[in-house]
Amino acid sequence: MNEPREPKGRHQGDLPSGMDLGQPERWVVGLDGNRKQALEVGRTRLILTGLLFAFAFLAVGFRLVELSWLQNDMAPRIAGTMEAPGEWQAGRAGILDRNGEVLAANLPTMALYANPRELRDPIEVADRLAEVMPDAIGERLRRDLDSDRSFVWVKRCLSPQESSAVIRLGVPGLHLQRDECRFYPHGELVSHVVGFTDIDDRGLAGMERAFDAWLAGGETPLQLSLDLRVQHVLAEELQAAIDEFSGVGGAAVVMDADNGELLGMVSLPSFDPRMPGRATEEQRFNRAALGVYEVGSVLKSFSTAAALDSGSVTLEDGWDTSQPIRVARFTINDFRGKNRWQSVPEIFQNSSNIGTVHMAMTTGTERLRNYLDDFGLLDPASLELPERGRPMLPNPWREINTMTISYGHGIALTPLQVTRAFAALVNGGELVQPTLIKRLPGEQAPRERVISERTSEQMRWLLRLVVLHGSGGNADAEGYLVGGKTGTANKLSPSGGYQKDKRIASFAGAFPIDDPRYVVFFMVDEPKPTERTYGFATAGWVAAPGVGRVISRLGPMLGMPPRPQAEEQRPDPLLVPARLRGRSVASR
Amino acid sequence: MSALDDMRLRRNPETPLARKLLYLNWGLVLLVLALAAVGTAMLYSAANGSFEPWAWAHMARVAGGLLLLLAVALTDIRLWFRAAYPFYALCLLLLIIVEVKGMVGMGAQRWINLGFMQLQPSELMKVALLLALARYFHGIAHRDLRHPLYLLVPLALALTPAALVLRQPDLGTAAMLLMGAGTLFFLAGVRLWKFALVAAGIGALVPIAWSFLHDYQKRRVLVFLDPSTDPLGAGYHITQSKIALGSGGLFGKGFLEGTQGHLNFLPERQTDFIFTMLAEEFGLVGALVLLGLYLLVFIYGVAIALSAGSQFGRLLAMGLTANLFFYVFINMAMVMGLLPVVGVPLPLVSYGGTVILTTMLSLGLILNVRIHRDYHIPRRGLRNAP
Repeated sequence: MNEPREPKGRHQGDLPSGMDLGQPERWVVGLDGNRKQALEVGRTRLILTGLLFAFAFLAVGFRLVELSWLQNDMAPRIAGTMEAPGEWQAGRAGILDRNGEVLAANLPTMALYANPRELRDPIEVADRLAEVMPDAIGERLRRDLDSDRSFVWVKRCLSPQESSAVIRLGVPGLHLQRDECRFYPHGELVSHVVGFTDIDDRGLAGMERAFDAWLAGGETPLQLSLDLRVQHVLAEELQAAIDEFSGVGGAAVVMDADNGELLGMVSLPSFDPRMPGRATEEQRFNRAALGVYEVGSVLKSFSTAAALDSGSVTLEDGWDTSQPIRVARFTINDFRGKNRWQSVPEIFQNSSNIGTVHMAMTTGTERLRNYLDDFGLLDPASLELPERGRPMLPNPWREINTMTISYGHGIALTPLQVTRAFAALVNGGELVQPTLIKRLPGEQAPRERVISERTSEQMRWLLRLVVLHGSGGNADAEGYLVGGKTGTANKLSPSGGYQKDKRIASFAGAFPIDDPRYVVFFMVDEPKPTERTYGFATAGWVAAPGVGRVISRLGPMLGMPPRPQAEEQRPDPLLVPARLRGRSVASR
Repeated sequence: MSALDDMRLRRNPETPLARKLLYLNWGLVLLVLALAAVGTAMLYSAANGSFEPWAWAHMARVAGGLLLLLAVALTDIRLWFRAAYPFYALCLLLLIIVEVKGMVGMGAQRWINLGFMQLQPSELMKVALLLALARYFHGIAHRDLRHPLYLLVPLALALTPAALVLRQPDLGTAAMLLMGAGTLFFLAGVRLWKFALVAAGIGALVPIAWSFLHDYQKRRVLVFLDPSTDPLGAGYHITQSKIALGSGGLFGKGFLEGTQGHLNFLPERQTDFIFTMLAEEFGLVGALVLLGLYLLVFIYGVAIALSAGSQFGRLLAMGLTANLFFYVFINMAMVMGLLPVVGVPLPLVSYGGTVILTTMLSLGLILNVRIHRDYHIPRRGLRNAP
């Protein structure tokens, strides 16, 4: 359309006031009868369209009511009819998560067996069965059916579709028998904890094994402390970290710091509990409870707590960390050291090996060892799972071991142990018994004091410093006051000694650090450096961000609104040591 | 310039801006805000209680969209009348560009990257087509409608973009374009027997079209007819969606408490299936409240169309209202299993830049019709002094 622009305001002002009627219809009607008809048709159709829409919306509304309300009323009735006549009673109790989501349950199924002597054409029957049940092994089936036996199992745990397909085949000599099978609706998400059973419903691993007798006889389901949502978040973030850094596996644990309930326990790679036989050893291995790993600098949390709690070191002390420590053929150095005197908070925040060794030596071998024992790090952690790892400790324990262990070298622990000890570190100083069974309301967990309330409070502050100013910065989750410690260790090689290029990156943290409710442990096995992390594969780059993401997702899920980032409860660390110590060690 | 034209122009004085703001239908603006707030809350929940990655971006887009809405609403309607064809041409050009780029890039790319958002020309086309058709039907006399020749131009206007979108391939958007166009044909007064003829033609074409569908499209239709045939594959979306809808009950599981949504059972929970999350977390009551909010928007739309003084305004307002209605209806019907799965978002609630842009543009134009309802636009366009 080629139209000249309308000259603005040109017609204003010269308008006779009586002419401005403002009612187009009247004016139009006077001119054009056809136009009037158009208007009427238009109006009718407009109203018609509107009504049509209203009806469509009404339909949507009705459907909504039907789906969300009426169907809900129906659901319990269906469940009722299935159980009421006592036709079928599960032979093994189910397993639930803490919110009642089903993790394992028995369902009625059919089992198919054959009497090969009754079969007229065994090979044809085998082929037709293989068509109906794609996962049956054709070759084995042919051999079995073509034998002279009178009883052969074809397949157990048939799906309803499969059993009806078999019935439709109508082959004499094939027999169906009532059977029941165990199902795991959430599959590999919980397989390391829940475990699995054999074809005859005997528990072989995990809680299935630990509570085998109880489950086999019980009618009430076993309720775990696990939270499926937490489990899902852990698995997703751990897998993301493993993928990003091309790790070979990993473990993650979330524990209630106060009553020891494990809300999440993930070990990757995982396996499908329906087919444990097809999983590799590597997949079935529970890295969270059975595997032992060096956690590196995470251990500094415990040796520092021991030093503070025993009274041999105070927060005002400081050491010269510019000089490496040489003992026998070892040289202890810092990863990116500060080359100066540092106070205890600085030593912890900057994760100085040299400073930590000085502190440990001031504490003394015997005392440090007793503290680690109290933290439960020298014995396998007690837990319901049959798969629990035994820590690897130096034997004999010499002074050089005290030195290296103080910064996490030469001691391998299970993630479960570290999580439990870390909870004691932040919850006021008491070691609580971890559990995978949901505690009753008000139930008190068995607990033992390890360090004083005061030391615990000091440690919480130190752990917060690591996230605020140290290597744990990536673990922070806005509004959840994360505190924690990173640790990167070289992996032990099967032949003894360490492998330079294979690492374990771990992070132990708690939130909110001013009154910790949950402890999170996160570990990636053999992370490789990436370009994005500037060639680093240290815990600060690998594990800490995972913990940050986990916490920011868990917080709202566990009913904790993010709080505005409060002013830190303490002034910035007194980073200048008030008392300079440690000449005695340096002079050795 | 004839005396008649002179009179016509005199009847359309410029309304001062302050008065326009007064005429602006603030109730509708309030409804837009309420819907956007629901969207933000659900996106916060979809990210498991986090403003990242969706909720913040959604809020920012809504804020930008509101500015656009106001700007569009306050512009003189005659300007939009003039811009109708050029705007249509521009959108068509963008569609062709996307088509050519898609061919070069070997993929079904449907958007143009603008840096701050990814623009889907097919979405913009929905508005542009309605503008163009409204202008066309405004320009022809009612009796001319009887003549099939006069329908060739609007048919071409509608079918060209629909064919382009169908090639992308985006069945849902193509269908929506045609439905919007069909509504406008109906409103303009095209005889009913012609619609019957088209319907019969489509009925005859279905078997032929079926053979042209992609396998995955065929499967979707079949699964729609019976989702239980494939609960883990193509029926997965709908089965999960229905479970989630049903599990909400009357009052829902509570904000951030839905298991289907949070455990990732629901695909695309931030876009096409956001309504399911809402129904799961706020139950029937929450879902009906959202339905009510949309209903109010549509009632406003129809009322504005009824009060419009010009054919252009009436057609435009009702066409755009119908278009918004299609979004809402198709999306809800889809998640409830009443329609097959097609990617249609929920306006103002779902995450997505172009949808917000289109929705705000549409609502702005509807408000524009309301503000300028007394403006008269001559049938053969605006003519000025020689």
